[in-house]
Amino acid sequence: MTDTQWPVFEVFHQQARGEPHVHVGSIHAPDAQMALVLAKEQYARRMACVNLWVVSAEAILATDYEDADIFDHGTDKSYRESTGYQTTKRAKAIGDTAEI
Amino acid sequence: MVYPMQEMPLNDKQGDPGYEENLAAFEARVARGDKVEPGDWMPNDYRQQLIRLIHVHANSEICGALPEGGWIPHAPGFKRKLALVSKVQDEVGHAQLLYRAAETLGKPREEMVEELISGKSKYSNVFHYHAETWADVAVIAWLIDAAAIVNQKMMAEGSYGPYSRALKRICYEEAFHLTHGYDMCISLATGSKLQRDMLQDAINRWWKPIMMFHGPSDKESKHTEVLMRWRIKLKSNDAQRQEFLKKYVPKMFNLGLTIPEEWEFRYDEATKEWRYNEPDWDEFLNVVRGNGPASALRLRTRKLAHEEGAWVREALAAAAAGEHVPVPVEMN
Amino acid sequence: MSQQTIEQLKPQVKTAIVDLLYRLADDHLILGHRNSEWTGLGPILEADIAFSSMAQDKMGHALAFYRLLQQLGEPDPDTNAFLRSGDQYRCCSLVCLERGDWAQSVVRHFLFDEATRIRFEALEQSRYEPLAQVARKLRGELKYHTMHGQMNLDKLGDATEESHQRMQDALDRLFPHAMGVFEPTEWDETLAAEGIQPREAELCKTWRSQVADMCAESGLTMPDDVGPIYGGRAGKHPEDLKKLLDDMQKVYRLDPDSEW
Repeated sequence: MTDTQWPVFEVFHQQARGEPHVHVGSIHAPDAQMALVLAKEQYARRMACVNLWVVSAEAILATDYEDADIFDHGTDKSYRESTGYQTTKRAKAIGDTAEI
Repeated sequence: MVYPMQEMPLNDKQGDPGYEENLAAFEARVARGDKVEPGDWMPNDYRQQLIRLIHVHANSEICGALPEGGWIPHAPGFKRKLALVSKVQDEVGHAQLLYRAAETLGKPREEMVEELISGKSKYSNVFHYHAETWADVAVIAWLIDAAAIVNQKMMAEGSYGPYSRALKRICYEEAFHLTHGYDMCISLATGSKLQRDMLQDAINRWWKPIMMFHGPSDKESKHTEVLMRWRIKLKSNDAQRQEFLKKYVPKMFNLGLTIPEEWEFRYDEATKEWRYNEPDWDEFLNVVRGNGPASALRLRTRKLAHEEGAWVREALAAAAAGEHVPVPVEMN
Repeated sequence: MSQQTIEQLKPQVKTAIVDLLYRLADDHLILGHRNSEWTGLGPILEADIAFSSMAQDKMGHALAFYRLLQQLGEPDPDTNAFLRSGDQYRCCSLVCLERGDWAQSVVRHFLFDEATRIRFEALEQSRYEPLAQVARKLRGELKYHTMHGQMNLDKLGDATEESHQRMQDALDRLFPHAMGVFEPTEWDETLAAEGIQPREAELCKTWRSQVADMCAESGLTMPDDVGPIYGGRAGKHPEDLKKLLDDMQKVYRLDPDSEW
């Protein structure tokens, strides 16, 4: 390598207050401070933006796609969802007809 | 089970234990329409083909900034001036996105940039030609971007996640380029005789490179089959060319523009396709190997820009590392 | 004192405002043009993109000032930019100079944008309301420009021997031209008396002391013993401007009556 390869920073963009920061891409920058200034024009020169984050790519740990099965549901997890219950019907049966 | 984002395993050599099994799982995933992500097992050929393709695509963006960039100082009027700077800026931005996408496959950007300026890796045929007049800028922005959009929309549906994500953003921005290009062509085509002649002259000179843009006819293209199986590419070169012609030839005719006679352009009602004399693919290969009219200039310009920027890249890296040179402190 | 609208302007005040607007518009157009010459050729992709955005902003700011001129009965922005000759331009020499290396462009960008920041802060209070509105509207973009300028000056000023040398050379060369941004004109008193803009000398003084501090913090020495290079505000420009205008107006002038 005859040149300096700058490190990578991941860029997160917030479109409006109240919205989440969304990953939009990454850039090479010498440091985090410059990464912010440079990311602004590469990732927010068109889209509305109120806040930008940069994170050193090296600071990110990621799961391996090979291990994506850890996110699978091996057993019925419907008890975590409101749709997993018949309660509206049951409430009605005991005379509660208002929204639960 | 966790990897830092920068250290993806490269367990993909033919002959490795489990290769056949992994390949079958990989191909099944691709066939399902699932995206491939950087940490995934992938056949070495897939990785290499993608690196080659994305690298060439990124090179084309950064070299594509040159013929149009040369006209930035001459753009007539505020609207055109602003739009052209913005368009060329987008090309630079696209190069950034694409080099990044290629980097996720294991090839550092600096290495790709070095290979471009040393002439080792290629870029699109169309940027090996000179932009001679302002109308060339209009034709490039309209027709070449239109041709590129056909290609990029297709590639955006491809199997590799990072490339696909970059292309979605790129296609969004290209829509502005196309509008800006068409708008310029409308102005010229409906303008004074000088402007109309200038535009037709540009079409005459650019039609050959445009016809070659999507690459050799399927009969000659050696990569197509495996690229399509792995959903790196979803349509043949000829199919892309026809898609482009179908939409844009009528628009050209509508502007009163003509296609140079030697192409013998005619519409085949039966197949709903345009027929024409086949481009000279040997000439195409010769051009992309670096023997086009502007090839030497393009690389010289890129090399110079890269070399002149070296001290800046080094200095900013040094500053980031906390380095300072001793300087006089008796100021004021 | 109340804000002034176009209808209420006394002829002499109007002439003074027109002159000021030409200086502002021409400075921004020419600097935007110069900086746009880097688009596609910057030292690294990310820096190229940011610099190009600022070039576009500068041209956009020029356009805003040319529109104010148009409201005052001057020609439309395109006619003004693309059909005037060099001696009709009122830009300072700082913006006319050739692009040079990245150090020269960064130092010019820093010096000019600090000057613009100080001027715009004052213009936000201008009694000529259309101008005050423009200054307020451009505040955000200008804030990014100064942030970018200061950061690059700070980092390149003393990072390596080469970067320090190049930045110091650029500063030595450009500083007299940068003082020329504040070339006094015959309209200074009128503009100040009417509350439209403070005197150039006053703006220059603020700029000089702030820029000196920033340079010192960046490991650079602001030249102390040099005088300003004037002339631009009277239409006397370095040769570089002629070449720039020839380039810029070449296509437009092929057919000035047509739409391009």
